[in-house]
Amino acid sequence: MSGRPVRLNHPKSVYIIGLIFKIITLTVIVTVFYHLTFSPHGPALLTPFKEKIEEKNRSLIMEEVKFLEEQEKHRHFHNIAEFPEMPEDMRPVCFICHSDYPHSKSKKVRALLNMHTQFFTCEACHIEDRSGIQTVYAWYNPMDSSPKGPFFGTSYDSETGNLAVVNDKFSKISAFFKKGGEFESTMQKQDAPLALDYVKIRDKLTPNERDNVKKKFHVNIKPKGHECKKCHDRNSILDFNKLGFSANRIVDLEQLNITGMITKYEMFYLPNLFKDE
Amino acid sequence: MKHLKGITFISLFVFLLLFLCIVFVSPANAADSENCLMCHKYRFLGRIDEQGRKRNYNVDEYIYNETVHRNVPCRDCHTSIQNLPHDPITEEVNCGNQCHIKPPFAKENFSHKAIIETYNKSVHGSKSTDSEELKAAKPYCKYCHLNPRYTKVDEERVASSTLQRCFNCHEEKGVTQAFKHITHRLRHKTSRSRQEIVELCSKNCHEDADKMRRFGVSNESIESVETYKRSIHGKAVSLGSEMTADCVSCHATSKIHDIYKKDEAASTVNKNNLKRTCQQCHLDVNAKFVQIDVHSGITSNEKPFLHFLEIQLGFVLYGSIFGLLGLALIETIGRKKDGIKWQIKDGTSWRGKSKRGF
Repeated sequence: MSGRPVRLNHPKSVYIIGLIFKIITLTVIVTVFYHLTFSPHGPALLTPFKEKIEEKNRSLIMEEVKFLEEQEKHRHFHNIAEFPEMPEDMRPVCFICHSDYPHSKSKKVRALLNMHTQFFTCEACHIEDRSGIQTVYAWYNPMDSSPKGPFFGTSYDSETGNLAVVNDKFSKISAFFKKGGEFESTMQKQDAPLALDYVKIRDKLTPNERDNVKKKFHVNIKPKGHECKKCHDRNSILDFNKLGFSANRIVDLEQLNITGMITKYEMFYLPNLFKDE
Repeated sequence: MKHLKGITFISLFVFLLLFLCIVFVSPANAADSENCLMCHKYRFLGRIDEQGRKRNYNVDEYIYNETVHRNVPCRDCHTSIQNLPHDPITEEVNCGNQCHIKPPFAKENFSHKAIIETYNKSVHGSKSTDSEELKAAKPYCKYCHLNPRYTKVDEERVASSTLQRCFNCHEEKGVTQAFKHITHRLRHKTSRSRQEIVELCSKNCHEDADKMRRFGVSNESIESVETYKRSIHGKAVSLGSEMTADCVSCHATSKIHDIYKKDEAASTVNKNNLKRTCQQCHLDVNAKFVQIDVHSGITSNEKPFLHFLEIQLGFVLYGSIFGLLGLALIETIGRKKDGIKWQIKDGTSWRGKSKRGF
């Protein structure tokens, strides 16, 4: 070895063969290590330590949530459809406390009210009107400053009759204050300074303090949203045409089935439909 | 004349209403003649209930139309709904109900009655002697089944060319649906994968040793998931095999739901039936073959020889690997002590002059 000239002109194939052998050797070592430590097929020497750490981080609440989610899949039976979720920080500030199912008090209509969260931001129904300022409704997408559509729910698939599949999965109708020619958004976003600060310190607040801060978020929010007929009517506050709804969809929303349903609900639940919401 | 105008107006109105109904009730929603999807097609139709459980009532139109129940009217199963809009539902669906679908060549409307009868006789069926806890823990139809979606058979070429021949005589639409209905079940006993079946039986049930112990099952049954996973079948399935036996392959016939304790005569794993059960996959089965313990727990008390052999095999495996690694390590330390540098480049591992002069 010593004194002999070092050979540097090996053919390329030698390097490739060497590399293959190194990969094989490393794979065998890693596999044996896994077999020895964590694999259920081996002695699982380190599994007790792993289980100890997992036990420490175990949350009964989280386990129950997962268990119930799985049970719900089977209770539901009809295959819960997967939809893309909006990134957590893009959601309106309401989502810090409320979920996609915010309505819970009125047993008769809570599911129907929750159905609307697919199409509306919370503010669209719950924003306090400002005197002298016109409230208008337009599509809002936190990931697209000027969403063009077509939007989900605005038209039917002519072949199947189902609601047409569209690319824009996140746009919702939101309320805007019209000031001159400008639209001022009523949305409270999660990246607003107040929201960011609240998320940072909410665990340090006492329950009373937390309630006080929460009230701040609800200053311009009315607890009762619009009644059905405000939108589902020929004189709807929503200009369905301008919002891009197809003619037959507008008929459905304004007149045919929804109106019929509301009439039936009126018999049972109105005029106190939203009293406890 | 005035009457005539009135009648014309009413006729036009009725015609328009009928026309709109025909146009707006989708052909895909043929089973939904009562327009339940008017509300249930929406993704967030749901609520959080009083116990804090999320309840989702959405039925996706596109998915529903790909399922085996796509032609069953909603209220054939949800019989407790008598008026619309309806109150919260508290009654469970009874899968034994007859629906309004008459299968080809059948005299009666379709129902799952036969399967339920088989299931009720099986070990999973609720018995009068069962404790309340055991009754609650036993799986019911929806515990195992979601509304099954059609899946294509693997043999795409065979499937498409066979179907093509059917079109020579039959209408494309109907026969395609019937063909899919049958062929998606042809792959093996169930349309689910082996891995899904093992997970279904294990999770929250058979792998929960405490639960099993409470129901007084045998030690063999308590360890069944663990021993299956250690077996050649379990290992192959965990590595993705679709050819190896899962739980249903051995514990049920093609009726799927006829699972019994192994000491019952009807059980597929009863010693008198084992040969037939193994022969589903292993053609050359003899009396010795069926003695092989599939759920083998290798403990020093029960099977000392196998236990000893298992340890020896472990020594051989780890001894070879770690022996070779140890030798390489000793060699490396020795050479480094000798002053030779270790490098992985230029095709040479060792370079330098030995202290010993060679």
